[in-house]
Amino acid sequence: MRALLAESGRATHKHIVTQSPDRKSAILARNLTLSLGSGDGATSILKGVDLTVPDGQVVALLGPSGSGKSSLMAVLSGLERASGGELSVAGADFMGLSEDQLALARRGRIGVVLQAFHLLPTMTAQENVMTALELAGVADAGPRAAEELKAVGLGHRLHHYPSQLSGGEQQRVAIARALAPRPALLFADEPTGNLDGATGAAIIDLILNRRAETGATLVIITHDEALAQKAQRIIRIADGRIESDTYPSDTYASDKYASGEMA
Amino acid sequence: MNWASAWRIARRELSARFRGLRLLLACLFLGVGALAAIGSLTKAINEGLAAKGRQILGGDVQITVWQRPISAEERAALARYGRLSDGQRLQAMASNGDTTAPVQLKAVDALWPMVGRLELADGRHVGAPAAGTAWIARGAAERLGIKPGDSFTIAGKPLRVGGIIAVEPDGLGEGFALGPTVIVPMGFPDGAGLTAPGAMYRSRLRMDCAGACDAAAIAEGLTKRFPENGLDVRTRDKASPGTETFIARMGDFLVLVGLAALLIAGIGIGGGTASYLEARRGVIATLKVMGATSGDIARIYVLQIAAAAGVGAFAGLMAGVAVLPLVVKALAGVLPVVDGFVLAPWALARAALWGLLVALVFAAGPLLAARTYPAMALLRARVAPVSGRQSWRWVGAGLAGIIALAFLGDGSAKTTAIFLGGAAGAFVLLSALGWGLARMAAHLPRPRSPILRLALSNIHRPGNQTARLVTALGFGLTAFVVLAVVQTSLDANIAARVPQKAPDYFAIDLQPGDEAGFRATVAGAAPGAKVRTVPTLRGAILAYGPAGAQTRVADMKDIPEDAWQLKGERGLTFAQDVPEGNVITDGAWWPRDYQGEPLVSVDEKLAKSTGLKVGDSVTVGLLGVERTAKVASLRRIDWDSFGFNYVLVFSPNALAGAPFKLAATISLSDKREHGLLRALTRAYPTASVVEVGPLLRDARGLLGQMSAAILSAAGVAVLAGVAVLLGAIAAARASRAYDNTILRVLGAGQRQLLGLLLAEYGVLAGLLALVALALGTGLGWLIVVQLFSFDFLPSWTYVLGVLGGGLALVLGFALGGSLPLLRTRPAEALREL
Repeated sequence: MRALLAESGRATHKHIVTQSPDRKSAILARNLTLSLGSGDGATSILKGVDLTVPDGQVVALLGPSGSGKSSLMAVLSGLERASGGELSVAGADFMGLSEDQLALARRGRIGVVLQAFHLLPTMTAQENVMTALELAGVADAGPRAAEELKAVGLGHRLHHYPSQLSGGEQQRVAIARALAPRPALLFADEPTGNLDGATGAAIIDLILNRRAETGATLVIITHDEALAQKAQRIIRIADGRIESDTYPSDTYASDKYASGEMA
Repeated sequence: MNWASAWRIARRELSARFRGLRLLLACLFLGVGALAAIGSLTKAINEGLAAKGRQILGGDVQITVWQRPISAEERAALARYGRLSDGQRLQAMASNGDTTAPVQLKAVDALWPMVGRLELADGRHVGAPAAGTAWIARGAAERLGIKPGDSFTIAGKPLRVGGIIAVEPDGLGEGFALGPTVIVPMGFPDGAGLTAPGAMYRSRLRMDCAGACDAAAIAEGLTKRFPENGLDVRTRDKASPGTETFIARMGDFLVLVGLAALLIAGIGIGGGTASYLEARRGVIATLKVMGATSGDIARIYVLQIAAAAGVGAFAGLMAGVAVLPLVVKALAGVLPVVDGFVLAPWALARAALWGLLVALVFAAGPLLAARTYPAMALLRARVAPVSGRQSWRWVGAGLAGIIALAFLGDGSAKTTAIFLGGAAGAFVLLSALGWGLARMAAHLPRPRSPILRLALSNIHRPGNQTARLVTALGFGLTAFVVLAVVQTSLDANIAARVPQKAPDYFAIDLQPGDEAGFRATVAGAAPGAKVRTVPTLRGAILAYGPAGAQTRVADMKDIPEDAWQLKGERGLTFAQDVPEGNVITDGAWWPRDYQGEPLVSVDEKLAKSTGLKVGDSVTVGLLGVERTAKVASLRRIDWDSFGFNYVLVFSPNALAGAPFKLAATISLSDKREHGLLRALTRAYPTASVVEVGPLLRDARGLLGQMSAAILSAAGVAVLAGVAVLLGAIAAARASRAYDNTILRVLGAGQRQLLGLLLAEYGVLAGLLALVALALGTGLGWLIVVQLFSFDFLPSWTYVLGVLGGGLALVLGFALGGSLPLLRTRPAEALREL
């Protein structure tokens, strides 16, 4: 059954890629590889990933620890340079770009939410969001940051430092920070991993709602099957390869993006 | 991102994180503060010398001659430039009944003082005293037990105390004297018979043109016109050559101390910046995730470091300026410093610029390395540190700036070059040692004990602190050793230079015919006392060298620095036998009652510096008469014996007919008070008898003050060393916090962890102590021998004790600081990670 799923996933994937050449893709990857280390100590992390994610889609990258899902996210978001293959993200060719060029490509176009929040500990909630806006070249960063924080329910916590916020609140600040420059793509790496069940669920709802409001493409990395079911599309990763690529519900299958691809 | 945006982010992050830059702040504060204070002090002294030069000299140009009045030609040569004031200086004995005291007699004419005013203790401002009256220094009043209105005698002539001197305007320019000053009207010494032929007095003529003449040109003209008159010519800008030499030497040393403090501070800045940025890894990676480029990161952290450096440097400047009035107050009696607040803009700018350049040199590496921290650091626990190799351009530019500033400074270029070279050498050596240690530790077989294994791996693992610790501990411990070496050497020099076995009394200006009576008086008052007498004359060396091809001193463009005996007049003597304590090193001494060709025996050091050999000849000028003698022998003189030592000793026939006086030393057989001083002063009123004890105390006091000044200046460098030491250990300790917590979770006991720390720091500190001992001893030798011309006499017990103290400080701080972490429950410690 599993093998079958894997096979169908690959087939679906191929289908998507080959059947929608005219669609505008948020992510377009061909035979993507990633190796770390060199010589005898080299480890192959990604072993030829082909993937197309259309604009506005909500995708869950699902897989066990060590499967390579976080590494795939790192490469797709430009935090890591791929060792080989082709990669185009938000219309930019990521291959052959330097660290700095990747940073520029990320700036304002790609938002990242991480499991451990990674807020800047010496800045208040508002300053954390402002910093992202300023890096993206936004002029009125202060008021915009305050609006973003209000939108995630933290209007009363603007001037609190991360250490004065709960885990859930910190992740809300991270979400506001990631979405504030209105990125075309949002990556969320295990966004509920450090939170309890109820808070985690609220955070996922928040991410999905905010994504819907902004229209960004969302890639959630998780090992939580239930969370993955909330996505339009589930891509399972195992041993550095895409094991399956599926659409969990008819709702999403009939979604305008999905229908476009399935046609 | 532009600089304005970068500054906004930098400021936002800095407001809460200034603590992390405390080491950088403290180091810049100390380094810049030391340099600012040193620069301002040098300016205060130079300005003091310039502003007070005329006052110190008592005019614009001054000529001094020994044992004769100023000639009419000499007077005429000066008279056309301004008004003239005459004076005399001589050593004399003052008596009040049975109480006697040696005094420096200063005879002044009615024009004195031409510059400044003499202030008396009662507040009056006066000029020369009236006939039969004297202004006396407080010391003389105290020793003689007299007050204004009382009478006392000098050479049997009565004088009335007109007032006690409070401020003597030209006191600093008078030079060393064997007693407190007594100012009398011109004519008094002549009337008292103190200027009889052969008497050791100086005639002094000062010219005042109110600063409107070219003093240096006049001085040069005088020296050229009267090359063989034995004139000692001084000008307002070189009013006190002794003081200037001391200031120049002290200035060199202070610049060295400032540079050393700054260099050590630089190590701290490097370490402080690296630890700070290491701790910012997460933040940098987060900023990169948000799209910050390496250029943005560089801008943000350059601005942060620059802001902290600016604050540190500014605080240092303020402290340097603020501390100056205290220093000026302490030095006011010793050196001619400008009173009050001194602002030396160039010195302050240089100190600040130097501080910022040092910050650039030492912070460039860590800053450029931080630029390349990858965004992936957020997703992987530890990414191996990146190298700061691309920093060489910045480091090179900073170094070039530092060197340029060093050579633009007030200190001597040679001293600065030696220091910079030495510092660079030490830095390279310590860096190589750190690198070598890490490499060696990596290749050693793994010990079986897990603690030792971990200690060893801490030295070479990726991200190790070895190189940083080695440099910081190396420089810190070296500073300790240098200070100990310099301090104990100076103490030993003071003990050695001021002899323990000196005669008890000196007597000068005895008439040749008085010798028998003098000996009898001593024998009567102090039976068993040993008396030694020598004839004394004064004369200048006019020419020297092979007979017929002599070099005239007047024709020499530059007199070698170590041939100081060629400058001006010197004490000369003649003797039948080799003087006590002298050793003939070449040639032979003349036989008793020798009547042949005039001969002379020369100090071997003078012979070496001038190239004189046995068989050559020396010509001296004695009261206008030239006398030439053949060099019969060279002698080694024990200058430390504190007796009468002469560079030139003639055969008696060589100086026959020249007027001379006798000088005597008296060594008592016991140290009881014999009333000897009283008896001698009464019997020989025109002679001066000086008790040696108080002189030795004064000499010890002076050297002690000098040593204290040197050590307190060097203390700044050591303070910087301690800051760096503690900063480096704190940084290393912070990087161990994670390991220690995990080890505790895994079941390691407190003792095992302490053992681990002890093993790691013990190996490093032990090895570095040896390096510091070698480096510190070398640097100490340079300072003691090359800079201060003292003997190298460190007390090794003390030096090793200080080094041990430094080691204890390192280990104590490393272990003590880790105790709270080790005492914390593992669960608690985990939450802190």
